Amino acid sequence: MRMLRRSVALATVGALLAGCGGGPGGGGGKISDGAVVLAVLNDQSGIYADLSGRGTIEVVRMAVADYQAKYGDKAVAEKIDVIAADHQNKPDVANSKAQELYDRQRADVIVDVPTSSAALAVATVAKNKKKVFLDVGAATTELEGKGCNKYTFHYGYNSYMLANGTATAVTRDGAKNWYVVYPDYAFGQDMERTFTAAVKNSGGTVVESDPTPFPNDNFSTFLLKAPDLKPKPQVVGTMQAGGDLVNFVKQYNEYKLRDQGIELAIGLMFLTDIHSLGVDALRGTRFTDYWYWNANPENRAWADRFQGKVGRRPTAAHAANYSAALQYLEAVQRGGTDNADAVVGQLEGRKVNDMFGRGGTIRAQDHLLIHDAYLAQVKSSGEVKEPWDYEKIIKTIPAAEAFQQPSAACRL
Amino acid sequence: MIISRLAGRPVLLAAGLVAAFVLPWSIYPPVAMDIACWALFAAAVDLLLGFTGLLSFGHAAFWGSAAYVSGLIALHTGLPFPVAVLGGALFAATLAAPIGYLSVRLRGIYFAMVTLAFAQMVYFIANQWRDLTGGENGLQGIPRELFGIDLSDPFFFYYAGLPFVLAGFLLAWRIVRSPFGRVLVSIRDNPARARALGYPVDRYKLLAFVLSAFLSGIAGGLFAISHGFASLQEVYWTTSGQAVIMVVLGGIGTLWGSAIGAALIVLLNDYLATAGFEEIGIVTGAIFIIVVLLFRVGIWGTARNLIAAHTRRREAATSPDPGAQPQQEDINTPAPQR
Repeated sequence: MRMLRRSVALATVGALLAGCGGGPGGGGGKISDGAVVLAVLNDQSGIYADLSGRGTIEVVRMAVADYQAKYGDKAVAEKIDVIAADHQNKPDVANSKAQELYDRQRADVIVDVPTSSAALAVATVAKNKKKVFLDVGAATTELEGKGCNKYTFHYGYNSYMLANGTATAVTRDGAKNWYVVYPDYAFGQDMERTFTAAVKNSGGTVVESDPTPFPNDNFSTFLLKAPDLKPKPQVVGTMQAGGDLVNFVKQYNEYKLRDQGIELAIGLMFLTDIHSLGVDALRGTRFTDYWYWNANPENRAWADRFQGKVGRRPTAAHAANYSAALQYLEAVQRGGTDNADAVVGQLEGRKVNDMFGRGGTIRAQDHLLIHDAYLAQVKSSGEVKEPWDYEKIIKTIPAAEAFQQPSAACRL
Repeated sequence: MIISRLAGRPVLLAAGLVAAFVLPWSIYPPVAMDIACWALFAAAVDLLLGFTGLLSFGHAAFWGSAAYVSGLIALHTGLPFPVAVLGGALFAATLAAPIGYLSVRLRGIYFAMVTLAFAQMVYFIANQWRDLTGGENGLQGIPRELFGIDLSDPFFFYYAGLPFVLAGFLLAWRIVRSPFGRVLVSIRDNPARARALGYPVDRYKLLAFVLSAFLSGIAGGLFAISHGFASLQEVYWTTSGQAVIMVVLGGIGTLWGSAIGAALIVLLNDYLATAGFEEIGIVTGAIFIIVVLLFRVGIWGTARNLIAAHTRRREAATSPDPGAQPQQEDINTPAPQR
């Protein structure tokens, strides 16, 4: 009886799951299974849910709509499905979800995937299954280094762009002495290395650089020590991200380091972080961003569309996901098929010049999209004119300088 | 009446085997493999919790280290996967010997805390030893191979891996049905008495601990090979907790209940994540609370008691035999915890 009930339950769940999956389609021809399936795999309930999450599903739908509007009857992909899964920022979940999306849900491409370890896991799956993967959300340079492969593209930003942009610009601006604090795990160590190298190359000195536990909520030991370092640092650079960054900034303000002449520079910050901390806590902070919704009328027009659907302003990650999905569909259109090898061929070396990727090229050597990045500064509360109007773009970092040279470790 | 009881058991066993064999036909094969691995892991935890009275909160150390070792063997030597899985399980058992030696002297919450502490040590070693384990990126691209046969199709791998899980269950079942297992139960119920009877209690506990770690190791190794991936999640303390939850849901001290608990949790996680439900923890937590409050002996424990009560009532109606014996296997079920 127990077994009967159990197998009935299993069969029911199985049938439900199969129903969600869509199953194999009947279509032959150049589009596999009769439809192009775009899968969004990202964090939909955790710390990255705000900066990409469900908004990303919406932007991929926007890209599909734009593609269909542009090509109409001539569209190679007549039927396009957008599906999504939550990877909870865990590499093991990402690994099994990616297999499931490619196999069970017939996904032709996976986009987004924040969290470096999860992204590397999905890259391995993409390589084994020979399916396209466009990573937008993860920062690790390993995706275009040791972990690169033929089917994986890195689209948007990486830790080199973040650390190098901020460190170079702020040091050249006159902040010669740095105190760097970083979380002691792969991302933080990676950022710290790039950051220190960039400070030195620009003629500055890193007075001291301290690893912190990860995750951590008490940064007082590090912050209290900063004013007494010899020589006294002009900037404290934090590589913290997410919740740790929020705590770090709050405590930076509590200890009034800004009044003691120590500025704040941040390695990785998204619009949503500024929103949750408030502009007052971050006033004047400089960081590298790779897209800002209010930077020009074109961005703004797109941001208005986004707001109409999601109810708030988009982050850079949203814009990058939109562009990645659109470029994928354009590649399908040009190649006339959703065959992964053909799409990869169409994407390699492709110049990108849409609302997101200005001056962009998808580098054929390592599949990294290089494009313009921006040095941004957080506005003071007096300068904020409307909700989500938090950033001032100080300077454009041209594509050629913003990203690293192709790594020798990458063999596609 | 004894005959009817004896006849019922093979039927249940056959039904269980059939369910295990048809599982990948009715659900997505990798999920079926997950259920099989977690079922064996939970059974290993139950061996300690239900039959020896030791609540280990550090079994992720054995599941996880076996996952890494199996992965490393498969990745670097290219040996067929059964060798890798056994290597991982043996490593887990070896690791369990010193940890168990130091922990089994303690009881109750102290034992749970010490095992948790050891598991966290293993976690930090795995996290820091990046050259070997890949740190937080995990061990990636573990091959799945058996003497040149490509098992990358999860459907076939399920049938390649299932014999290990069944063998693990058989071993667990033999352990609890053996004289050794009876001694473990007596230690669970009254350690002072067991010691007074001349049993070296600590040594028995240690052996149970090592055997349990070995079974966890088989499960963990298979899990890593099945996913082609070993991550820090495997050695994280929530993994230990998940196994304990499965045991409690299925029924402590029932062994087969672990399989039900595992199937329930894995299917629920898979279904909720696929359906796009955001707060998986709320549902699992609610089910856990309901089971703990209303079905203190777990799902299988409750079902078994109901069946037993039903049989007794029918027997009482047919033959007014005053000497109706209580069910024999009741001695395996510990008294509800207070």
